[in-house]
Amino acid sequence: MTITTRSLVVGAVASAAALLLATAGVAMAAEPPSQITIGTLYARSGPFAVSSQNQFHGLQSWADAANKDGGVMVKAFGRKIPVKIVSYDDQSSTATARTLYNQLITQDKVDVLMADFGSVLTSVAVPLAAEHHMLLIDPTGSSTTFFTKKTDYLADVSIRASSIWPIPLGEFLLHKNIKRVAILYDANDFDASQANTLKSVLVKRGVTPTYFNSVPTTESNYFVLLHTIAAQHPDAVIELGYLDNDIAFLRALSNSGLHFNMTFTIFPGQLRELLTKNVGEKVLNYTYTYPTPPEVKYTDVTYGPNTAQFIKDWKDSHSGETPNFLNAAGYNAGLIIQDMLGTASKFTQESFHHALMDISGKTTTVLGKFEINANGAQVGEFLPVAQLVPENNKNKIIVVYPETRATGKALYPAPTS
Amino acid sequence: MALLEYALMGGVLYGIFFSLVAIGLNLVFGVMRMINLAHGQFVMLGGFGACVLYQDLGLNPILGIPLAIAGAVVVGYPLYYAVVPRLQRSRDPEMLSFILFFGLAQVIEAVAVFVFGADQRSLPPETLGAGSVGLLWQQFPDSWWLAASVSVVSILGLYFYLTRTKLGFATRAVMTNREEALVTGIDVDRISVIALIMGLALAGMAGVFVPFLLGSVDPSIGTGLTTSSFAIIIIGSLGRPLGTVAGGLVFGLGSMLMQTYFSSWSNLVPYGLLVIIVLVRPTGLFGRPLRQA
Repeated sequence: MTITTRSLVVGAVASAAALLLATAGVAMAAEPPSQITIGTLYARSGPFAVSSQNQFHGLQSWADAANKDGGVMVKAFGRKIPVKIVSYDDQSSTATARTLYNQLITQDKVDVLMADFGSVLTSVAVPLAAEHHMLLIDPTGSSTTFFTKKTDYLADVSIRASSIWPIPLGEFLLHKNIKRVAILYDANDFDASQANTLKSVLVKRGVTPTYFNSVPTTESNYFVLLHTIAAQHPDAVIELGYLDNDIAFLRALSNSGLHFNMTFTIFPGQLRELLTKNVGEKVLNYTYTYPTPPEVKYTDVTYGPNTAQFIKDWKDSHSGETPNFLNAAGYNAGLIIQDMLGTASKFTQESFHHALMDISGKTTTVLGKFEINANGAQVGEFLPVAQLVPENNKNKIIVVYPETRATGKALYPAPTS
Repeated sequence: MALLEYALMGGVLYGIFFSLVAIGLNLVFGVMRMINLAHGQFVMLGGFGACVLYQDLGLNPILGIPLAIAGAVVVGYPLYYAVVPRLQRSRDPEMLSFILFFGLAQVIEAVAVFVFGADQRSLPPETLGAGSVGLLWQQFPDSWWLAASVSVVSILGLYFYLTRTKLGFATRAVMTNREEALVTGIDVDRISVIALIMGLALAGMAGVFVPFLLGSVDPSIGTGLTTSSFAIIIIGSLGRPLGTVAGGLVFGLGSMLMQTYFSSWSNLVPYGLLVIIVLVRPTGLFGRPLRQA
């Protein structure tokens, strides 16, 4: 059979066409998106609304700042790309959140998925993200149940895991030789994890809590509970709940006439202004809490603004309003996403996770050292123990433990007001 | 023993307060045969009213009581004539009222978020008295006693209205049989709108004490209060407002005792009791069995 000129020409044209198509396919695969979509939820109503919206505002602030700068550097495409936040209101409902997370993944097909505030609203996102092989950026969900096994689909970026978060508190109690400890906690992932961790720290050193009970997360009347606790004659009362629980607990405590040598609640350290507005300075006198950034300051950071710069930028863009921890947590989540996109060699979820593991342990931000383990738990971002001490009719946060980070001495037992 | 006594006394005070929270719902159902699923939202608005009076106007939050009554008239009268006659003419007014008032509840909550924000609001206890009052060697804050006193006075007032006034007799006639009352010449619409206004007023009055007894008020508490109220009126007797007192006491005592001895389960109390009462005595503690023709 002879090869004719005609067949040669046909073959050459076919080869050229195939080469062209192949090149076009490669070019299409490498086409960068016009925007990086970050999908998240927030609660406009319900028990988590205040915390969630503060965190969301932090993320929005980061996005605005990034877009003012022309977008975030995406290493996979070698250029800066603007970010867009795609968000929905979950009304503090896990059922609604589940549906909306699913929508973000399957309908909106967001590039980056970020959870709403807290362990309760994050809990429904964790299995969903894993099912869809999508990395979940988790700003403030710290429940130990999330981090039980190795995963490529979860990263806790802005809050320490509950399995280690309360360790300094437990060590402080032991350091002060406080033997009679009452622990009252909400029956949800976040608070129960903390309570169990705290209990195990104490029990390991021979201190068994004199009271260790849970209440429903919706509990709002602590009056009789406090008297039940007081009947055990504890020296320290540790209340682990959410914002509205802390408010109701502190109100009931001030109303009850009871006094304990030490009282600890979580949210004065995160939302001090709101707590003060609701319960008053006097009620918070000498209580203990976890102080959080930006109350805890980081001068030397490796990524993003340091604490002073963050506070200044926030005040400038929010009419002088001082940022709180949840604003910082949302902002920090954005910073970590930015660092992740600037490190990931490919624009895939797997590459994003590798990038986070690469920057883990090497990055310090406004929230402290970013370090996650193979299970996705945040093991950096240390939170010490602080006491609210009155000074000129206002409370000042004094870090009291560990001693290497202390800015003052704990007043124990707390004076009666 | 001291713990038990404290829980019992606390339970009685708490239960009396919750009787006031729930009694308006029962009155509205008893007269109009409609379930006001927005009842908790009106309680919530009463709480915000008290907060606004104190925090924004510098007035004592107790003035929220007359404000609640005035608000109930302003809201209740147009609300009734806008929806109820239409609902009454429909094929299934009870079910439709369920849906309509559910929608109203969502609207009220959304508007409350818009107007007041999502933040919790609380009031200093000193506004209702900085001390505590003791009875039977048990001390409770002034706000608890005041809430219980207002509740007792309001419930007694309702009792006297129903048993000693012409309008009250007519109300009871409507509650017994709406159609027969209509045929006998009773102005059923007038009786019903008064009952709705009274129901909303009682809810708003209860709301004034929510920041004191429940720690704080925020737009999301309404649904939980409606659910608790519903459980209380079923326990007491659906359609018999004064049976609500028994339901409230059972609820209060159950909650405080569970808080003392099994705190993790304290939220289950109203619903557990509801199930038991419905199984054992379906008409409620104070219900009368219906005569079968």
